[in-house]
Parts: sequence; C-alpha cells; structure tokens
Amino acid sequence: MTDEYILEFQNVTKQFPGVTALDDVSFKVKRGEIHGLCGENGAGKSTLMKILSGVYPYGTYDGTVIYNGQELKLQASAIHQATEKGIAIVYQELTLVPHMTVGENIFLGSEPTEHGSINWAQLYSETQTLLDKYKLDVHPQALVKNLGVGKMQMTEIAKALSEEAQVLILDEPTSALSEAEINKLMEILRTLKSHGVTCIYISHKMQEFFRICDNVTVLRDGKWVTTQPTSQLSPEKLVRYMVGREMKERFPQGNRRPGEIIFEVKDLHAEKADRAVLNGVSFDLRKGEILGIAGLMGSGRTELVMTIFGEFGKITQGDIRLEGRPIKSNNSHHAMEHGISLVPEDRKRHGLVLIQSILKNISLPNLDRFARLMRIDQNAEVAESLRIAKELTIKAPNLYVPVETLSGGNQQKVVISKWLLSGPKILIMDDPTRGIDVGAKFEIYKLMNDLAEQGIAIIMISSELEEVLGMSDRVMVMWQGRSNGILNTSEATQEKIMTLATGLA
Amino acid sequence: MKTLSRIFRQNAQTSIIILALVGIWLIFTVLAAVMKDVNFLSPQNISNIFRQMTITAIMATGMVFVIVTGGIDLSVGKLAGFVSTVVAYNQAYRFTDNPAVAAMASVVIGLAVGLLWGGLQGYIISYLRVPAFIVTLGSMFILGGLTLLQTEGQTITATQPYFREIGQGYLNPILGWLLAAIVTAAIFFLMFRDRRNKQKYGFPLPALQADIIKSTLFAALLWGYVFVVNQYNGVQVPVLLLGIVAVIMTYVSNNTRFGRYTYAIGGNREAARLSGINIRQTLFLVFVLMGFLSGLAGIMLASYVGYGTIGAGSGYELDVIAAAILGGTSTLGGVGTIPGALIGALIMASLNTGLQILDVAPAWQGIAKGIVLILAVLLDVYFKKDKT
Repeated sequence: MTDEYILEFQNVTKQFPGVTALDDVSFKVKRGEIHGLCGENGAGKSTLMKILSGVYPYGTYDGTVIYNGQELKLQASAIHQATEKGIAIVYQELTLVPHMTVGENIFLGSEPTEHGSINWAQLYSETQTLLDKYKLDVHPQALVKNLGVGKMQMTEIAKALSEEAQVLILDEPTSALSEAEINKLMEILRTLKSHGVTCIYISHKMQEFFRICDNVTVLRDGKWVTTQPTSQLSPEKLVRYMVGREMKERFPQGNRRPGEIIFEVKDLHAEKADRAVLNGVSFDLRKGEILGIAGLMGSGRTELVMTIFGEFGKITQGDIRLEGRPIKSNNSHHAMEHGISLVPEDRKRHGLVLIQSILKNISLPNLDRFARLMRIDQNAEVAESLRIAKELTIKAPNLYVPVETLSGGNQQKVVISKWLLSGPKILIMDDPTRGIDVGAKFEIYKLMNDLAEQGIAIIMISSELEEVLGMSDRVMVMWQGRSNGILNTSEATQEKIMTLATGLA
Repeated sequence: MKTLSRIFRQNAQTSIIILALVGIWLIFTVLAAVMKDVNFLSPQNISNIFRQMTITAIMATGMVFVIVTGGIDLSVGKLAGFVSTVVAYNQAYRFTDNPAVAAMASVVIGLAVGLLWGGLQGYIISYLRVPAFIVTLGSMFILGGLTLLQTEGQTITATQPYFREIGQGYLNPILGWLLAAIVTAAIFFLMFRDRRNKQKYGFPLPALQADIIKSTLFAALLWGYVFVVNQYNGVQVPVLLLGIVAVIMTYVSNNTRFGRYTYAIGGNREAARLSGINIRQTLFLVFVLMGFLSGLAGIMLASYVGYGTIGAGSGYELDVIAAAILGGTSTLGGVGTIPGALIGALIMASLNTGLQILDVAPAWQGIAKGIVLILAVLLDVYFKKDKT
C-alpha cells in the first residue's frame, strides 16, 4: 500500500484547562518528503508532536490522525508504541546518557543479547552499519560526553532511525548548532530522504525551510494557517503567515547614537584548567552602542563574555577597563558592582530558577538594594519588579506564577528584567533570541534599541548572522579565541563575517 | 465551600499534611478509647505530644534549609546527643556550686559546641567541596566516638534546678494567658501594619475580612492550645522555645537575603551563582545554622531526660529528616517550608506517643512510621502528577 500521504491530521483539537492548544487542525504530510512546521511559540507545534509521539494519547484529543492509512491510536503510558509504529522524535533537548558510548546510547533498551548477556561485537557492528547507511560521521565507541553538540545530534538521529523509523520528527534541531554543523545536518536530511524517510522539520529559522523542505505548514494560535510548497513561498510571506500581520522589517529601526568609549578590552588572554581559551581579544565599546559578536561554536564568544563577567577563565594577560580604570571581576558579584550585567546563553540552566516566581527571579540579583540590615523590604521589591515587568511587557497573570509556566519569549524577558533592574552600564546578552519566536524576537530587539538609546552599552552574541547585521553598530568576529576583526555594520556582509569567522582572513 | 476547595488546591501539600495529622489523631483517639480506655486528646497527652516534638522540630527547621539547598545532614542526631553529654558533664562535674551559673554555662557551651561543629562541617562541605552526605556520615561516626569518650560509657546526671526548666519547665497558667494575649496583639498589629505599608505603595489590598478571619483563626488556635495545656501544667518552656525558633526561622526563610539565596541555590545553583550569590558562603552558613540548632536541641535533650548517655540522640536524624520531608520539603531542593516541617514533627511525635499508648511493640512502631512517611510522599507525588 503506497498512499501518497503517510500522515493526515483531520480536525485535531486539543484542549487544556483554559487554553485551546490545537483548534481544528487539518493537513497532510506526503510520504518521503521533508515537511516544515513553523509557527510562533505557543502556536501548537509541540502539542501536535506530542500527539504523534503518544505523550498525549488517543482519546485525550478530538479529531483523527491517519498514519499509513489507519487511524493512529496510541495508548496512554506506552510511549514506546509510537517508536514501534515507526514514528521517532529527536527533541530539542538532547536525551542521551553522557557516560555511555554512541553505540550503547543507540541501542539503549534494545541491546542485542546472547544467552542473556549483551553481545558487544554485534552491538557495535550494527551501530557502524547504521551510521554508514545514513552517512553519519561518529565513532560508535566514542563517549557521548566527549562529543560536540553536532555529533550528539547525529547520535540522537541514529538512535531514532535504529527502530526503522518511517517518520522522523526533528524539533528545532539547529538551535545549538554552528553553521558548519547545520550544513552537515542538511546533508544528513537529504540522505534520509533518499532512503524514503519522511521528516517533519520544526524550526524558528526561516532560511532552513527554504534550504531543505518540500512543503511547509504554518500554525498560528493553535490553528492551521496554510500548507504550501516552499517553491511558492518566500521568507517574508512565511513570516506574514506566522504572525498574521505584515512585518515590514524584522529588525526595528533604532535611533542609536553611540557616545564616548566606556569599556575597553586589550589583548585579553585567559585560560581554564591550563587550557588557553582566549588568545588575544581587543575591542572597545561606546555608550549607547550595540556591539555584535559573531563567530562559530567554539570560537570563544561565550568564554569571552563569561571571563569579563568573572565567571570563567583565569586572565593571564591583558586588561579590562571600565570608564578608563582597570577593573577586575573575580565573580559575578564583582562584575555587577562594576555595573556589568550578563543575560546568559541558556536561560533555563543559567538564567532562571524555574520553580520560583517571576518576582523572586527578578529580584534575586538585586536583593541588596531592597535589604535594610537583615530585612528585605518586600513592598519595595514588589513595586520595583512590577515596574520593570510592565516596562518589558512580560505577559503573565501576576508576578507570583512560576517562570516555568511562561513561554520562551516571556521567560527571556524575565531574565532581561532581572539584569536590568540592577541598572547596568554594560549589558552583555549571550544569544538573547535563541529559541524564541519571531514576535518575541522583535520585541527584544526593540527593547535593545531602547536601552541603547538610554545610554547603556550592549554586547550581543548571536549565532544568526542576519541578527548580528540587523542589530549591531559594529561586529566583532571571533576565531580560535581571538578577535579576528571588527567591522562597521555598514560595510559588513555575511560573506565578510564568515571569512573572518573561519580564519580565511 | 468554593473558596475552601480553592484554598485546598492552591495549598495541596499543606492541606494534605494537615489532613493527615487530623486523620492520625482521629484514628488514635478511637483506637485508644476502644482498646485501652484512654483519652488520646486529654490535656496531659496533648501537652506531652507537643513537648516531645520540640527536639525533632527545632532541628527540622534547620534541616529544611539544608535539604532546600539540595544537601543533607545525617549527623544532627549524634551532634545533639554529643552536646547533651557535654552539657551533662558540665552540670555534673564542672559547675556544681551554683545552679544558675551552671545553667548559663551549660547553655553557652552547648550552643558553642553545636556552632563550631556546624562550622567545621560547613567548611569542609562548601569550601573543600566534599559532598554533604559523606561529610555528615563521617561526622556521625566521629560524634558517636566522641560521645563515648565524653561519657566513658557512664550515664551522667544533669538535674540541677534552673537547667531542668529548659526541657521540663511550665509557665504559670496566668503567664500563659498573658503570652497568648501579647502574641494575639502582635498578630493584629503586624496585619494592620502590613496593610498600611501596602497601601502606601498603592498595592491592591486583600479583603479586610479575609485578613481578619486569617488572624482570628490563628489567634483562636493559640488560645485553644493555651486553654488545653493550662488544664494540665501550663505552657511548656520547650514549646515556647520552639515557638521562638520557628518564628525566627520562618522570618529568615522569607524575609532575609540569606533565606532567599538558600532557596535560589536549591532551585538552580548555576542561575544563583550567575546572579552574584556567594554560594559557598551561603552553604557554609546553612550548616552553621544547622549546627547551632542541633546544639540547642542537645541542651533541651539533656534537660528533658535529665542525663547524658552514650545512646543520646541516636536515630533522631531520621525523625528530623522525616519531619522535614513530611512537611513538604523536596529532596530535589528548592522547595520547603518551616511551618510544614513543624507539622511534620508533630505527626512524628503523635505517632510515637499514640503507638506507645496502644502498647505497640517497638518493631511495629518503626514499621508504622516508615509506612506513613512513604505514604505521605506518595500522595504528594500523586497530586503533583495529577496537576500536569
């Protein structure tokens, strides 16, 4: 039986108390295609995928899902059913056991055995066969914890494919990957396609749909908007479908006027655990300026800002000057006293105490301001947090809800709030729009413009070249732990940045 | 009814544990009446249960902080035991001529020993980075040895007049009523001051009725308690001490930087570190505090039982940890309250007393306590799963 369509959603509706996550969604996925799925955070993508994987089993939603010509009926508490039927998911957060090898991870739970003990030779040879078949370049006996993010993801894909998957769902696979790794992933996806595997590709990055997908489905606020061949779409059209409004510009026009130099880094060298991580970084930063930092994964971008913030390497050479005076930060507390704030790259791991309320998260680094002797003036705390939350338009019923219940964009606003409340002179933002939707991105950009106009100097790391070019006054490109060039945005192009980032110039 | 069910859902954890306490009391009341013809809820018995919970409860308030940071302290029972023998030794052999001096010196020495031991453990755990489980496990062995050295295997009596009052004393009934009146006045004063302050900031105020009902309910519980225990010997000195400790610890956990940092570290250590919190110092202080409270518990123990002995404090750490966990403290860190731990300790004490009244063999007492602990956490897990 070879239907044209492998998967069909018919009037799928999923309700949570008070929220309709999916509202009468219908569309079809062709056999063997790469089908893009896009929409803002909260549009219903994840809910849809959770129905496919059995997290929300049959009966907890309305409507039907047809898979291979039959209605898909996954039972509760039998997540494995989906895998057995050939539906596999690679989640955004990787789910590998770090202290096991690639082979062990791939066959976790289905190890080949002989008389009750694991047949290691068979396990590794099957792993190799699998990796070769889909041209995945990982060593079967490598320990996962020693792999880079890109290779971990390959392992994850191999694991998904080891069960003869017919449909592979990739949930934002590129959010942590460098350009080179993304290219590699695209190649892998094409290989999969040539083997007849259907892929559903979820992403926030527009260009990727056009590089790889045959069709794209757009969801908005839980409703199906459109399914179209990518050949008939353009990035602008796609964004319009996603946000439901005309988005003339992805980057708001600011009215920034960089002033005098406030911050200088000269020939900075640093090491961690006797390994050099920074090999000479120099730049200066002006009041009211946004300085973009571009570079590939491992080029030392995060290491640089964390060192400035006093939370990473040991400075072995060079100096850091704030308003002309050399400063030294041994920890984040010192850095904050100097007026340096940092919005970390991974907001869930480094930015937020997820189980705590918005209020407690915002006030955490600022409690010194509210404390009189021992006592925290809780009224002042609430008043100030409320003010900043309003200023940043955090959407929540009140300040007392745990931040884990907020959307990605709102969580990011909480992180920014907590660091703004301390009144920084320098605001470092490490990939501030990672994993948040287009609408929220736009708001963050606007906020960055506002802050810069107020005279705050911003350092922004970004993995998206368009974002760096769209938001910065100048761009510093890093390569192998050093600053490999600083470009004015007016003269910078993606090509020039990549040339510097890959060490070709 | 609607508001009641809302309150229940919002505070599922607290509600469950209060219901559990009431349930346990009901069961014991019925069983004691039927099987032994004893009134479980007699003033004397209630007075005993509350006095018995004090030692566990005082340490449990500190244990909440320790577990909230994601740590554990296995040494608290042995530390309290060791302190009790040190105190008894001072009572029996060093300050024999003046009971007042003896009482003062015993308290100071006991607290100092607890503080120092807590500081030492805290230093090794937070600055030398040895896991808390291991340090306190080792410390448990060491304290057992030290207790043996201190007592030389003998039982040391510690029954000088003033000192005895700490663990065994009662307030004069009139003093009890006076205390209730003062606390009630304070509750209402603080309530109105809080409302006034909120008004100053222009915050929306909770309904006055709700605030008044809450404060009145609290005051009523207090007056009821004083009424009951006054029918026996009066408000117990150790319970009064526990009350003071509980108020201070609750205040520390909600209204001070140290308290907030403790919860933030348990919730997400990396985020706390990047928020400029001195993690090591906070952890160190948590163990210092735990040591101090163990010292206080040790003093009360010596005073209560009237002697110091090798076995003093053995197994208390289990009751303490159980009380904190019954009270809703999460072993994953980041979550836990002082009032919860108090109720947890009250449940443990009620179980101990109730099972003893029913003449249940010690073996079965242990089994019953273990089942209650696991059941309580099971219910909690069940309700949490239901939520998502």
